[in-house]
Amino acid sequence: MIIRTKSLNKVYRTDEVQTTALNDLSIEINQGEFVSIMGPSGCGKSTLMNILGMIDSPSSGEYFFMENEVGGLSERKRSDVRKNNLGFVFQSFNLIDELTVFENVELPMMYTKVPSAERKKRTEALLEEMNMMHRRNHFPQQLSGGQQQRVAVARAIVNNPKLILADEPTGNLDSANGDDVMKILADLNSKGTTIVMVTHSQYCAEFGNRIIRLLDGQVVTENVVRQFL
Amino acid sequence: MWKHNIKLTFRNFKRNKTSFLINLIGLSTGLACALLIYLWVNDEMNIDKFHAQDDQLFQVVQNYERTEGIRSRAITPAYFSKEMKDALPEVIYATPTNNEYNFTEPGIISLGEKDVKARPLFAGKDYFNVFSFPLLQGDKDQVLVDKNAVVISEELATKVFNSTENVVGKMIRWEHDVFDGEFLISGIFKKLPESSTEQFDVVLNYEHALDPFEESRNWWSDAARTFFILKKGTDLQQFNKKLTTILRSKPYRENCSMFAQQFSTRYLHGQYENGEISGGRISYVNLFSLIAIFLLIIACVNFMNLSTARASTRMKEVGVKKTTGASRWNLIAQFLTESILMVGLSFVFSLVLISMFLPQFNEITNKQLDLNISSQTLFSILSIVILTGLLAGSYPAFYLSGFKPVNVLKGKLNNLFGEKWIRKGLVVFQFSMSVIFIVSFLIINQQINFIQKKQLGYDKSNIVCFTSKGQASNKLESFLNQIKRIPAVESATNIEGGGFMGNKNNGTAPTWEGVPVTQQMMVPRPHVGYDYLKTLGVELIEGRSFSKEFSNEEDNVIINESAAKLIGYENPVGRFLYRGSDYKIQIIGVVKDFHNESLHKKIKPTFIRFQPTGKDIMVKIKPGQEVATIQKLKKTYEEFHAGFPFEFTFLDDEYQNMYESETKVAALANYAAGVAIMVSCLGLFGLAMFTTERRRKEIGIRKVLGSSVFGIVRMLTSDFTKTVFIAILISIPISFFIAKSWMANFAYGIKLSWWLFLVPSLVVLLVAWITVGMQTVKAASVNPVHSLKDE
Repeated sequence: MIIRTKSLNKVYRTDEVQTTALNDLSIEINQGEFVSIMGPSGCGKSTLMNILGMIDSPSSGEYFFMENEVGGLSERKRSDVRKNNLGFVFQSFNLIDELTVFENVELPMMYTKVPSAERKKRTEALLEEMNMMHRRNHFPQQLSGGQQQRVAVARAIVNNPKLILADEPTGNLDSANGDDVMKILADLNSKGTTIVMVTHSQYCAEFGNRIIRLLDGQVVTENVVRQFL
Repeated sequence: MWKHNIKLTFRNFKRNKTSFLINLIGLSTGLACALLIYLWVNDEMNIDKFHAQDDQLFQVVQNYERTEGIRSRAITPAYFSKEMKDALPEVIYATPTNNEYNFTEPGIISLGEKDVKARPLFAGKDYFNVFSFPLLQGDKDQVLVDKNAVVISEELATKVFNSTENVVGKMIRWEHDVFDGEFLISGIFKKLPESSTEQFDVVLNYEHALDPFEESRNWWSDAARTFFILKKGTDLQQFNKKLTTILRSKPYRENCSMFAQQFSTRYLHGQYENGEISGGRISYVNLFSLIAIFLLIIACVNFMNLSTARASTRMKEVGVKKTTGASRWNLIAQFLTESILMVGLSFVFSLVLISMFLPQFNEITNKQLDLNISSQTLFSILSIVILTGLLAGSYPAFYLSGFKPVNVLKGKLNNLFGEKWIRKGLVVFQFSMSVIFIVSFLIINQQINFIQKKQLGYDKSNIVCFTSKGQASNKLESFLNQIKRIPAVESATNIEGGGFMGNKNNGTAPTWEGVPVTQQMMVPRPHVGYDYLKTLGVELIEGRSFSKEFSNEEDNVIINESAAKLIGYENPVGRFLYRGSDYKIQIIGVVKDFHNESLHKKIKPTFIRFQPTGKDIMVKIKPGQEVATIQKLKKTYEEFHAGFPFEFTFLDDEYQNMYESETKVAALANYAAGVAIMVSCLGLFGLAMFTTERRRKEIGIRKVLGSSVFGIVRMLTSDFTKTVFIAILISIPISFFIAKSWMANFAYGIKLSWWLFLVPSLVVLLVAWITVGMQTVKAASVNPVHSLKDE
């Protein structure tokens, strides 16, 4: 099992208001699964993703990543777990504007201290695979949304992560480009990478093999997606 | 990773050209000022430090206990060095030299037809063992043993003999107004370094300094400066006690004591109070260093402010990097690389500025600084650059790297409130410093103006000063008469003892009825010839001036009002003052108080004595006829002083020289104030630009809702106005305190009026308004359609 959470709670407090984003939430995700998380705005999807991605910590409850409790780790340790095991794909791509396509993809490997030659080899291979090699020296602003998201996906998988967290990866794309990205994710999953994806689109959600629906920070239903031939 | 950081830095510079330019101009100006001052400070700190035994090389300073307090001077009786060397085993070498009051004029070294001016030094035989002035020829133990031996400089040898080879053993002739003679060259010393305070061209045996003044060998005279090499590890306190014991065992020295001061510290710590070292030029070194540090901080503040203000544009980068695995240290390293590179580039640019302004800076500081610096200085300069980079980059680095990825990816800046206050605090600091610099600039300039215009009690205009040299002093009277015959000469007089106003001739005051002889005080005692009062235009209140119609004028005295008040005689003219128990002098006149010293000092009771042999001459010329009259003076001078060039100054210039350090500080304050306000405004400009950019949408909405351009400008400007206003409130008491302490150096000076603080405050406020106004008017005039469309 790659992910197991037990009674996760996340509460946001401002001076006057207290908001419960996650409420006693327990889920389990197995290695190799492609899980889609759905639910209306404010149901806690993104909060869950942030906690699963270890860029936020729960207010209470436990989070086991590969059977190790990580919810209470320090920022530095979470950063270590993150860089070696996780890849992120965001709705708004989040490419660094000052870096070229090549450099954006190469970036995660710099933090895992991959030697320069190996970095070059892996980046080029991925760009080739994403059909972005001809754009390797372009800056993000010079690319279309679909191209940007393909670069972002390449960046997310360049360190061969065990888990990819995708937060509405097609939210900013037209349907053709969205389709492309979903196919890439499905392909990755078929090669063994676990994927957890937040989406509003039933169509996209069905690329996965399980859909978890959230409402007010709680799981309301879990369905296995039926595969049609 | 470094490559990545550097690449990213340059792309950021390229993308944010305005903030890059603001930082470049600000930091390079700040660095240029700081580095210029560093070059100066470094030069000052290295004066006299080159001697091989620097930490063992000492000079004797003597304390004189007087009624008005302890007075310290670095002079000793002529034979004190011999006495201490014989008595104290911890003294390895000791040497006397002539004191700084005698032989201040150069003499002439002649060989055949060749005459070369040379500054003399009279020194004991171990002089070259005490000081590390390398000898090119000659043995340092022997060169000054023989009384008729002289050691000359490399340059002098080259001038006289066209070479430094085969010079030792040759004879030269020495001419000076005190004595002449033939001397045997026993050695040649290498060119003295510019960092040496001891500067001379020829070294003669110390006995020659004593021969013309028999009394200078006595224990009551202080005809020497005494230098020595002290054994390592000697307890200085104990040693000082021993020095005093030796001195007090001699006649007339029961009220004196002594202490040893490391020679190389005298340049910066040459002032004494209560018999102890109290400071000196070091206060300027400290002041200038402080100014440099503040200018640099002001420039760094711009970088900090612009970097944090631009945080919103860097948020995504930080968030993404953190989620992809960057540690906080990775990001800190990246932002510090950015600031160090920024400062590094500014350093290159500052070198251009330095080379442009170095000549002017040298003029202000009276130095010959250049950019040919030693590797040690280069290392220090690079350290300053890196430290500046770290200083400028530290806050942004820690601030930006501290963003929580979960927040920044959502577009939220954490701790916005604290950040805003820090930024405001930094702007307050910048503008406080600007106000302080401008107030200082204004007050120093006002005081200098006051000094120029002050009624001094005498008229210093159109007075030419020069010194009669050589044997002409025997014909002084006829020389003066000849001068007085020149048609445009209104009057001429002569003074004894250095300083054309006679202000260096201080001594013990005579006593008067009702005052015990033992109660002595130091007073100005100018010894002057005929027509002194007339030449200077000093007003006589009572009695008469010294006149040829009376004999025995040496037994008379003219006093000033302060002296008359001190003495308390009802009708002083005709009454007597006493020197010792058996010598009395008669008061023949009372003059109005006049400033015979600088305005730093209160007018003291002054006793003007008659001495017709003074060699310092002052000539009052009718206005408008200076050029022709000086030509005639030159001709007359040369007739009486064959071989000596006519070198003159104006009394006006002598007066200015008394305020040399103030003029220097004024010039520096001038530049510092300009740089401070310029750099601060650059920063404010950048901040205003970002603020208006960030509030574009708000401005658009307000305009749609009906706000006028003026209303928006007021809204945007009021925030900055408040910040600058706080800076003014903070800086006024500080600048008042600084101004008051500086003015304490002057007995006579300007009043610290309120407008001296108000005007700089208004100037700063106005400049800030203009800076911010340019941005806000532009932002407020934008059609709201544009600002709302792309939101």
